[in-house]
Amino acid sequence: MPRFKPLPAVLLSGLFLLQFEEARGAEAPADVKASSALTQMSLEQLGNVEVTTVSKEPEQVWRTPAAVYAITQEDIRRSGATSIPEALRLAPGVEVARIDADHWSVAIRGFAGQFSKNLLVLIDGRSVYTPLFSGVYWDAQNVMLEDVERIEVIRGPGGTIWGANAVNGVINIITKSAQDTQGVLAALGGGNVEQGTGDLRYGGTKAKGLHYRVYAMGALRGPEFHSDDDRFDHWRTGQIGFRMDWRRGGKDDFTLQGDGYLAQSGERIDIASFTPIAEEMLDDKAYISGGNLLARWRHSMGEGSDIQIQTYFDRTNRKDLELGETRDTFDVDLVQRARIDGEQELTWGLGARVSPSNVIQTSDGVNFLPHQQVDSIYSGFGQYVLPLARDKLWLTAGSKLEHNNFSGVDYQPSVRLLWKPSQHQSFWTAVTRAVRTPSRVDQDVQFLIVVQATPPPPIFFDIVGNPKLKAEKLIAYEMGYRTEVHRNVYVDFTTFFNTYKDLQGYGPLSLAASTTPPPLDLYILLPYENAIEGRTIGMEIAPNWEITRWWQLRGSYSFLHMDLKDQPGFNDVGNLLSSYMGSSPSHLATAQSRFNLPGHLEFDQTYRYVSGLPEYSVHPYSTADARLGWRTAAGIDFAVVGQNLVRPDHPEFGGDPGPLVQIKRSIFLSVRWAK
Amino acid sequence: MAAGAAIVCSFLISTALAAEAPKPNEYQVRAAYIYNFGKFVKWPAASIANQEDAFTICVLGEDSFGGILQATLAGESLGGRPVHVKRIARPQEASSCHVLYLNNAAEGHLKETLAALDRISVLTVSEIPGFSRRGGMIQFVLDGERVRFEINRANAESAGLTLTSDLLKVAVAVWGNGRTGGH
Repeated sequence: MPRFKPLPAVLLSGLFLLQFEEARGAEAPADVKASSALTQMSLEQLGNVEVTTVSKEPEQVWRTPAAVYAITQEDIRRSGATSIPEALRLAPGVEVARIDADHWSVAIRGFAGQFSKNLLVLIDGRSVYTPLFSGVYWDAQNVMLEDVERIEVIRGPGGTIWGANAVNGVINIITKSAQDTQGVLAALGGGNVEQGTGDLRYGGTKAKGLHYRVYAMGALRGPEFHSDDDRFDHWRTGQIGFRMDWRRGGKDDFTLQGDGYLAQSGERIDIASFTPIAEEMLDDKAYISGGNLLARWRHSMGEGSDIQIQTYFDRTNRKDLELGETRDTFDVDLVQRARIDGEQELTWGLGARVSPSNVIQTSDGVNFLPHQQVDSIYSGFGQYVLPLARDKLWLTAGSKLEHNNFSGVDYQPSVRLLWKPSQHQSFWTAVTRAVRTPSRVDQDVQFLIVVQATPPPPIFFDIVGNPKLKAEKLIAYEMGYRTEVHRNVYVDFTTFFNTYKDLQGYGPLSLAASTTPPPLDLYILLPYENAIEGRTIGMEIAPNWEITRWWQLRGSYSFLHMDLKDQPGFNDVGNLLSSYMGSSPSHLATAQSRFNLPGHLEFDQTYRYVSGLPEYSVHPYSTADARLGWRTAAGIDFAVVGQNLVRPDHPEFGGDPGPLVQIKRSIFLSVRWAK
Repeated sequence: MAAGAAIVCSFLISTALAAEAPKPNEYQVRAAYIYNFGKFVKWPAASIANQEDAFTICVLGEDSFGGILQATLAGESLGGRPVHVKRIARPQEASSCHVLYLNNAAEGHLKETLAALDRISVLTVSEIPGFSRRGGMIQFVLDGERVRFEINRANAESAGLTLTSDLLKVAVAVWGNGRTGGH
């Protein structure tokens, strides 16, 4: 998986400019009114006050010159989300659309698709972006949601640190330290779409400072509603894993973690067959399996300086009637962060990734040549944070330099400026260059579509990879403003202007004929070229209002306008312009309300509006979710969750052959026990 | 039936709990503790901090806790002196402080930091694990959902501070008693 160079997410949270922790926590600074009474208490009384624990240094978000948002464990729990893509709906500006029960499109700032090529996703520092298809197989990504500490979502380019493909955003899924998952947890759920889910985890302590957990999880999901009654989208997953964290002497942290999984993901595919020549629509299942092992050592050198080495191995297997692939990835990263004179901060790192893969041809219509290939990335980066005025103004500048086997060397610099005029107000602005490097699907694919089977000669469209395809380039201009309007009202506003060059399109058509095997076949060749350029503008605004201790309201609205055109010499042969511009919503709005009711009851509602997607004839829709939870003192929690309550069903995205899949109203019950 | 009764019972208990005041966060409680420590610790009359007109609480380095301290202790006074919260960049600047709070970032170079405080009569407070046994004076510990603290008496006394018995008896652990331990 060579083309991008992500770095360890856990450290990265610290790296991206100045420790971004708990973006949301930051909006809720100490509740001042309650605290004046505290100072009147005696020492004994203070010792008996029950407190809510907060994660460290939440205020850092004020000093992050980027559009960051953290989805917390509590956010996930209160949303009723049962999968990572569902949880991602909680962050502003993330375009999550469910294609069918087991496929999603997840994108940021446009270019949405089942494989959103511009979005880098990492789980505990391990990249899950596949260099085969440039994107994420969401049906293979499972994390026990109870063990997620937070999901960091960065909108906008992050290539300076994360490397290629962090063009429009980065998603870091970060699980809890084993120290924070001690004891037993068992959760069961079931409903009409979430037919059955089960999570089991045990966490313990071995020696001093050594904590571990083991877990197992499984789920049966689907199908959604199909107007042609063809219910192909059954999704079955099973996964086990462990994590060990060892803190030695206060300066060294060691982590060892691993997962193994098996999944079956139902799908409908459209493939060309040669015997007889026909374009067939088939119900199919992708057989998915894999495992990974990751080790990380972090050594603290004091004063905010540390060094971290991380290495992982990841195997993924996937096979369906269209194609199969087995891929091994070996990755090692080193990152050092050094404070200089207490205020300046230098971060630098080196990384290497080698990823041999083997493509298994399972159909006549899809092939990658060569079948076996070793992909690689080697990279280095440096970033400097320079305070221009103490506690007020910071300049962050840096670049990444990386080499990959597809498009060679690329650089990804950024310059960011942050001004914090007061404690709870900050402005930032940034200019960044990022690249999306080509992948195997861009350079090595052969994809046949039957245009005409009879009368002879048979005619095919032949989409051919272009080994000379260059990286797609972005220069992004961003601006952001965060403020606490009132003690309980926080607003985060970001606007951006992106200019893209060399986006993938098709070059001029040409005709080819083949007589091997006889008889004659005709091919209309469609080569990939760097054929499209243009710009996007947009904004995201996310207010958060803590009305009372027991009622919180949150909202988000994002706007996106895409304006793309052919580069000189090209004329949009494959209608990609409308596909790029018509796959992301122009308007996306959400509102969430959370009530903490007496009796440890929780009542949470979410409303979502998504404008239409012309590319797939998906109409604008509004939908709403609700959750009623009850936390008992015995450690048993119950919840009833209803999703998409407004209508019986609605489509959110295209992508499957055949009629649009309608996402159903769903209800499920869950019970969770923790001890 | 027994299970049903248990659930009903727990429902009643949880209702009773929910009716209580909302919980403060751990840092607010820490701030209140630090304020309280000021009542139970005596600084040497000759210390620089004691010459000042204010009771000064310092926070070393970049830390959001400074803001919480400020908010929690705004308008408070101790022994007739207003409480001031100040952020300092290096330990050597602690001579005008009564209390110095060290955040987790100080953990890696704790020894050097504490060495730099030698001869300064400042009460060191932190949540760093093992702080009270590694040269610090008061260490916050979380006991479930409650904030408690441990004391190292020898470390405090060698800095010229006097801890009153009221403070010592509330601590969950007192190290360096009788001037024996304290390293």
